[in-house]
Amino acid sequence: MEQPPPAQDRDLDPQAQRRARYRELLGNITMEKDGAAESSNPNEGGAVLPPEFEDAHAAEATYKEPPPERWETIRTRLWVLVSFWLIAIFLGLPLWHATTTIYRAPLPMQEMQNWSEGKLCKTEFPLLVEVEAPSLPDAENLLKTVQHALDDANDFAAHKPHHLRLRLAAKKAKTSDEDSKAEKDENVACLLRLIPDSQNGFNHEVQSSSRIVDIHYPQPSSSSQSSVSAGLAKFVAETLEVLFSQEQELIEHLLLPQTSNPGSLNALSSQSAEEARDKKAPPRPRALAADISRRMSRVVKYSANYHLTFSLFTATSIPASWDIESAISNYLTPLLSALSPISNFTISTQVQYYASISSSVTPAYDEDLKSWVLKKEDLSSFINSAEWPLASISNDPNLNFILYVPHPSVSPLTIPSATHANSFLLPQWGGVTILNLGQNTDPLGHLSHPTLKPALETFATHLLALLGAPPHPASLPIRLDSLTRQRSAEVLVSASSTLGSLQRLVNALPSISVPSTVGTSVKDSIRHLSLACEELRKGRFVKALEMGRIAQEEAEKAFFERTMVAQVYFPDEHKLAVYLPLLGPVSVPLVLGVFREVKRVIAERKKARAG
Amino acid sequence: MISFSHRSRQWLSRSPLSLFSRLLTTITLLLCFTGSTTADTYDENLLLQPLSGQFLLASFNFQSLGPIQTFNKQLFELFPRSLGQILQYTHTRELHLRFALGRWDSELWGAQPGDGQNAGGTGVELWAWVEADDDAEAEARWTSLNNALSGLFCASLNFIDSTRTIRPVMSFSPTGDYPSTNSSRLFLLHGTLPKEPVCTENLTPFLKLLPCKGKSGISTLLDGHKLFDASFQSMSIDVRPICSPINGQCDIEIQQNIDMVLDISRSLQRKDSPVPRPRDQHELVCDTTKEYASNEYCYPLDNSFDLPWSLSDLFGRSIAGSCPFAVRHPPTPHVCIAAPKDRLVQPTEAATEAPSSPNGNRCYILQENQQFDVSLPKQEPPTIPLRKEPLLYAERSFTGHGQEHGGVKTVLRNPSAIDFIEVVYLESLPWFMKPYLHTLKAELLPPPRDPGDDHVISDLYYRPALDRKRGTQLEAKVIVPPNSVVILTYDFEKAVLRYTEYPPDANRGFDVASAIITVPPHRRRSDGKHVPATSIRTTSLLLSLPTPDFSMPYNVIIFTSTIMALAFGSIFNLLVRRFVAVDEVQRVDFKGKIAGLLGKLKKTKAE
Repeated sequence: MEQPPPAQDRDLDPQAQRRARYRELLGNITMEKDGAAESSNPNEGGAVLPPEFEDAHAAEATYKEPPPERWETIRTRLWVLVSFWLIAIFLGLPLWHATTTIYRAPLPMQEMQNWSEGKLCKTEFPLLVEVEAPSLPDAENLLKTVQHALDDANDFAAHKPHHLRLRLAAKKAKTSDEDSKAEKDENVACLLRLIPDSQNGFNHEVQSSSRIVDIHYPQPSSSSQSSVSAGLAKFVAETLEVLFSQEQELIEHLLLPQTSNPGSLNALSSQSAEEARDKKAPPRPRALAADISRRMSRVVKYSANYHLTFSLFTATSIPASWDIESAISNYLTPLLSALSPISNFTISTQVQYYASISSSVTPAYDEDLKSWVLKKEDLSSFINSAEWPLASISNDPNLNFILYVPHPSVSPLTIPSATHANSFLLPQWGGVTILNLGQNTDPLGHLSHPTLKPALETFATHLLALLGAPPHPASLPIRLDSLTRQRSAEVLVSASSTLGSLQRLVNALPSISVPSTVGTSVKDSIRHLSLACEELRKGRFVKALEMGRIAQEEAEKAFFERTMVAQVYFPDEHKLAVYLPLLGPVSVPLVLGVFREVKRVIAERKKARAG
Repeated sequence: MISFSHRSRQWLSRSPLSLFSRLLTTITLLLCFTGSTTADTYDENLLLQPLSGQFLLASFNFQSLGPIQTFNKQLFELFPRSLGQILQYTHTRELHLRFALGRWDSELWGAQPGDGQNAGGTGVELWAWVEADDDAEAEARWTSLNNALSGLFCASLNFIDSTRTIRPVMSFSPTGDYPSTNSSRLFLLHGTLPKEPVCTENLTPFLKLLPCKGKSGISTLLDGHKLFDASFQSMSIDVRPICSPINGQCDIEIQQNIDMVLDISRSLQRKDSPVPRPRDQHELVCDTTKEYASNEYCYPLDNSFDLPWSLSDLFGRSIAGSCPFAVRHPPTPHVCIAAPKDRLVQPTEAATEAPSSPNGNRCYILQENQQFDVSLPKQEPPTIPLRKEPLLYAERSFTGHGQEHGGVKTVLRNPSAIDFIEVVYLESLPWFMKPYLHTLKAELLPPPRDPGDDHVISDLYYRPALDRKRGTQLEAKVIVPPNSVVILTYDFEKAVLRYTEYPPDANRGFDVASAIITVPPHRRRSDGKHVPATSIRTTSLLLSLPTPDFSMPYNVIIFTSTIMALAFGSIFNLLVRRFVAVDEVQRVDFKGKIAGLLGKLKKTKAE
């Protein structure tokens, strides 16, 4: 080590002189070196000098290698460092995660997907048809032939969910108790009555208020017995086909988007089904498909309860009142009671005076018809929703039926339509009938219930169309049965697709929270879906509809859970920004500490290698 | 399912329902006489009454009555379905809804129309009797009632939560009849929103509830621009069941009222020039008796003459014929003018004057599809307007200063010279205003001669607040002796709210709902006359609470974080650094490095 230049040297620059004086001043003040013995010598000890007093030379001169650290010190330092890091990683980070994470209840994702792809339930509608043929000797044989023909047709179009099964009505008595017990809850879809009739050839007649279908066939002479029975078999099969064709088309239409989901694993089978249809089945007429989708688009979402609102809107103050109470009980209540196994209805009525139609709707006078005619495009904006109080408070879906009495200045008001009824249907919303008051109105402006009859009958057909009942066959019970099946298919499809949407949503948005109620709802929904599927297979359609409805409700409850959107507005970046003033200054020394230790270890290694 | 009995509907002809027959007793009597309640009936009338000064009171009253059976079956005719469904859905048996704006100047204008029964406190006030099994169910139905009405009337009624709901004990009693309902199943709930600005969006749904919807009848006058330009206006809706004591037939009644006080000179000026401008000098009427009166100084004289006005001047239009549902045989008057006898009234020719009513009002019957207007010409000297002395004057104000404490002072003055008056004073205070009940004092002025005779408060009901759960409810039965003043005072403490509980305009202050002073129906001691139930509302108050600096939470987070980080950094460094002597520190020779770099640069440049 080099000694500093001697103080008494007069040739030195003034700075050196000052330095010398400073050193004198400091005298004995020296720093003790840890564990060093040579502290007794102040010169060797190297006094503390402010940097300005030290040039490069001097610095070199005063610098001393610190003594090697003791192993205990290094170990303590390492322990400190490691424990800080351990606390940060194993306590800090989990705590941070636990306090900021979003709760996501476990959902049966795979099962939900399977339901949405229609893999778990093959929808089937076994229909039981009873045949009553008292005058036919070989009824059994006939049934076999018909069943064969039907089965053939079914095989031929494998995708059809309907399975018609025939049974002799008389046979019921012979079956054992056990058998009848099992089949007791199975509903009979329709009863065929074979009646010999010599006058007209083969024809069928549907009774409008029961499930009985009469089939007339020519009285066979003994010679042409076999040919008649063959003809009869063919005719019965055709009749059944006609009876249920519309329903089949509808249900197929309902199930179609589900099975032909292109992304699903089911694509292969649905493709084959499609191929099969293309090859074998006669191509469905385009018009028919369009008709079905048009009809389906009008149908209101299924609910166990509906609220019906009958409103009389009049542009003036006349008519002032209407006999809606008795009109409803006379013309509508029978239909509603018939519909009660499917849905229940509550009713409210109102009269609104001085109700003007939307200002954008302007009827034009037609000289030929001697009436004011609304344009077709006006019908969609006919309802003046800004002014007409049509909203309903009830939780059930609301269907509106409006009887509109136009202002005398634009009366009679008609709509362009082929039918006689001056009414139109608003898809999924309700129906409107325009009533033109003639001269023979009550001077008091009271609409008596015979006047209301045509309007209410129109409303009844509107209601059936809105609920989705098929327009054929003529028998109301058969139509309602078919509506039940159609509705069950609908709720099944809708519940499964809701589950599928929920599954996709949860997958797509990782920041969304999934409360445990959603989990239970999903499980409930899936349970009821499988129950509904089972009931369908057994042919208990009303029960299936009920199960399906619960499944749908639960699925929607899960999907529309309110708390599932809240987290979107509180992003992680925000949380991080708020706590950055803490995290930044804390992490810098931690990281630097590690860095320094690593540097030291490397330096030691180098030294060891060099040494 | 559905089964109704056939019931023919006919227009009822009924004895005229006079203008002042709003009282239950009168209506019940009328119903008894007509005896038939098979159809909805509708009545509407308008009362125009010039008040002191240059003001005109216009009171619109619409009332419809229908059998409760069809109401329960949801077969609505004149009763609005939108409201009826809400009432049924929430099991509300009786509903009172008030929208009010402005202050009724009782010193100048006298008693409120309809004994104050149709007026509400500033903002929105709602009280209802809800049928329920227990308290929790009533609460749930009340919430859904508020939400539904909020949607129907475009008002923030949904903000009436448990903190703004009280259950008055002494102040209100049902005005409807409930023969079949057990009174223990009826729950009274009362909520106020003093901050709600009442405006056109509330008027439009109000008009939609009327059968004539502002297209004919007196409701054609109702226009948002004029109504909300008034000095005072109040809209009210009351629904209640009324039963005949004789045959037990029950009806459901809906009454809609609009009271407005128009400043005539302001309305006329609006008509002449839509932009307000100072009056020309020659239009000014100056009080020349003042000593400083000269050409330059003018002390305006208000009541020097009666201003001329007509309906079309004030409302911007005339009445477009009668509402067909309000036409009766024999005819009932639709428009009445309660002006002094010597004031000239000129209706349009089409109007039919009704036979003069006992109280001297001039009434007119509207004809269908015929415009109706009425004008009152300028009159000098001015007539003395009819003014009814109010039963009681009430004022309420804040006392005290500072951010922590405050006080409330209510002055009740009984103008009568001989009659004692017993009132129920109701305060509904927000939870962040915490009154000290022990400071509640009633002072009587002038002091009673007998010092033991100063028991002014005869009964007290107090329900203390719970933080963030419910507000304070204070009801006091106060007796005000004749010709004296009762001063009620109490102190309160202001709570400090949580950060998120402050509204966006926290420095504006928090509205405290009007106090409601109810005078129960009684028989006047001096002349034995029956005094109907009257209610008076004070103005609402604006309470200023200590407001924080709203950027504070972020500052606090950042500040705390920095301190924690500093502490952590120093402790951590103390633990992991090695301490050596200064001369043992390895120095980095910056000077040399920089010099070397510079030299390199120079070299490269030279090359």
